[in-house]
Amino acid sequence: MSMVAVSGTENLPAVASNQAPVVLPTGEPLPGPVPGRPRRGSSTIGTLLFVTADAMVLAAVVAVYLGIKEGATTWPPRGVSVSTYLPTMITITALMSGFSVQWGIFAARRNDGRNASIALILTLFLGLAVANLEWLTFVRTGFGFNDHTYGTLFDILTGYHLLHLLAAIVVVLVLAFRTMAGHFTEDRHDALRAGAVFWQYTNVVWFIVVTVLFLLSRHG
Amino acid sequence: MTDTEVEEAARPEGSGPSQPVLDLPDPWPKGSDHKYIGSLYVAAAVVFLVAGVAMALLMRAQLATPEAEILGERTYRQLFTLHGVFSVFLFLLPVWLGLASAIVPLQVGAARMAFPRLHAMSFWLFLTGGIMVCIAPALSDVFHGWALNDPIPVRLGLPGQGPDFLLLGLVLVLMAAVLVVINLIVTVLQLRPPGMTLRRIPVFSWSMMVSGAVLLFALPVLIGAFGLLFVDRHYGTSIFSGFTGSRGGNPLLWPRLFWFGAYPMLWALLIPALGAVSEIISTFTGRPLFNRARASAALVAVGVLSFAGWGSEVGTLNRGARPLFILGALAVLAPVALLVLNWLMTLRMAGGDGDGAGRMGSTPMLWALGMIPVLALGLAASVVSAVDAGRDAHANYWQTGQQHALFFGAATIGAVAAISYWGPKIWGRRLSDALGKLEILAVVGGTVLSVAGMLLLGIQDMLVHTATFDDGDEWALGNLVVSAGAAIIGLGLVVLVLDLLGSVVLRRGRAAGADPWGGQTLEWATTSPPPRHNFDALPEIRSATPLLDVRTAPSQPPEGTA
Repeated sequence: MSMVAVSGTENLPAVASNQAPVVLPTGEPLPGPVPGRPRRGSSTIGTLLFVTADAMVLAAVVAVYLGIKEGATTWPPRGVSVSTYLPTMITITALMSGFSVQWGIFAARRNDGRNASIALILTLFLGLAVANLEWLTFVRTGFGFNDHTYGTLFDILTGYHLLHLLAAIVVVLVLAFRTMAGHFTEDRHDALRAGAVFWQYTNVVWFIVVTVLFLLSRHG
Repeated sequence: MTDTEVEEAARPEGSGPSQPVLDLPDPWPKGSDHKYIGSLYVAAAVVFLVAGVAMALLMRAQLATPEAEILGERTYRQLFTLHGVFSVFLFLLPVWLGLASAIVPLQVGAARMAFPRLHAMSFWLFLTGGIMVCIAPALSDVFHGWALNDPIPVRLGLPGQGPDFLLLGLVLVLMAAVLVVINLIVTVLQLRPPGMTLRRIPVFSWSMMVSGAVLLFALPVLIGAFGLLFVDRHYGTSIFSGFTGSRGGNPLLWPRLFWFGAYPMLWALLIPALGAVSEIISTFTGRPLFNRARASAALVAVGVLSFAGWGSEVGTLNRGARPLFILGALAVLAPVALLVLNWLMTLRMAGGDGDGAGRMGSTPMLWALGMIPVLALGLAASVVSAVDAGRDAHANYWQTGQQHALFFGAATIGAVAAISYWGPKIWGRRLSDALGKLEILAVVGGTVLSVAGMLLLGIQDMLVHTATFDDGDEWALGNLVVSAGAAIIGLGLVVLVLDLLGSVVLRRGRAAGADPWGGQTLEWATTSPPPRHNFDALPEIRSATPLLDVRTAPSQPPEGTA
């Protein structure tokens, strides 16, 4: 029984003493495996793959935006002018939240639950601030979703970020509670790292969106 | 069903009444078992395949004779679209994801998927999306063509909720596929036992890693494209319609966006077929695959180069870009041809040995061998398609022939080969050998026949969307040939489905035993079907073919048992 050490069985009950032994065609029973530690970090790798796929969805939207911009006579359309003040504030706030979430991980790695909790709560606070600023940007644009294609894509791109941010806030909220409950230690903080990857990715989404909408298109 | 099977398989002969294998509380219940979810995917895919082929047969009945009036133009258009959507998104995609879900963890020696509950969720997401796609045409007319490229601008010609449902359903299907792909990649990376290095992963699992990597980049593009098209239709925006200065969008973007995702996706659905056939050929020749390292590299090359040729399907290319896409579409063919050479070398060396000759006639091997001529036909047709990038060969039946040879023919025959090879492992029952030979004859023969007819019609420049033709047209012969081929394929599939129902579902097939084929990889080192946790113990893994190692060195007792 003790030789059942296949990775991934750690959650399974010890099984099957009544199982027929598997015998190779040569008639020999199979030798047991070398015991090994299951690899850690599946959630982080899974999240990295997920954000790769997610970034390709964003890439499709950005490609459409750039394609339409290429063919347009004036871009953005006449009369459209979005202040860069709020997007700049969002960028700064998002950067700060990126640092605070990493602080949370460094703290968790040192078994410092107190600092980790503080860092995650600060991250949540900054995230909510970004969401609030982004909503304000929506309200103040002065054009609607359906007025012209610029408006449609502006709302889709910023909305894409806002949706990710809201999801990331829920994720970090759960992680903050888990941190306060002492779930994460020096050895076990895969979920925390995965959550941080997703948080940083939402920031990357914002940087791409702000580059496409503002740095590559003249407003004013 | 699986429960009772596990019990049956677990009962040692002549012993007393069996006890359930898993009588303790189980944290990973049956609903998230990878073999169960994989089987559900395969079952759903087979149902959608039957529907897709039925649509094809209706269309071929319409086109078998000139001036037929079996279907109206409008019905024909709907069937035409749905046939493509069903075949690609609801059959080919889930059948490979399902087979991979069931097989890959076993092949790499893992006890489960990396994220079992996510895996279960993905199936129900897929099924919801599939049902939405089925409901769509009942609500209102859907698009024209599986590239959903007609009519563009989409809003004007196509009122109603049907297309919206279709798009949302497809988005769900694609999201499910992305989740399965992530799950598979993490499983291979993280849950391997000691000794199973990345270079020792069996070639089918390797091909699924490559295919998964391609899908990970290609499918999200389609999700984005379908999402934007949905927004256009449902909220009345104009991303893909009208050039009205700075207010409107750009209809030329749609085919570019669609094929950027769909072209690599089609290749990614052929790659696992190449992997499965490699595996089958090496098993039944009783030797490792000839030059395995080169075969693995060729699979990676197909994956990478599949992104290079998407422009060849787009009719409105820039002049400067066209030569690049011609080269790209040609380049991807080279590693496939190289892989075929590897198979032929493996077969030749086995012929030299003289052993294993008795197993060359096994049903999975015959399916694998039957796939090779269809693949060769598809590769030859692809050369012409590539050279004619963006032109006639992509608007007339040449395209139909090329795509059906590679992505219906080779990919589907590969999938059936995989089902006949691994089905006994997953379900514990073998398919019928006698019926198998009939199925192979019908499916392979019918595919070659109908593809030949399609290519002939391509030379005669019959357009893809043609719903009927005149009495005096030269197209009559070609269409009759295609319809006859389709009917033969249909017959073969009916037998195949009956075979699956009888042998597997009704459990009339021969019991498989742990290793019916003399396999070389880890999935054959456990019972058929495997217990919920897959393995009680694993052999030592010192190469890509651990079971072959144990078998070919019987004089040396394995370490630890001496």
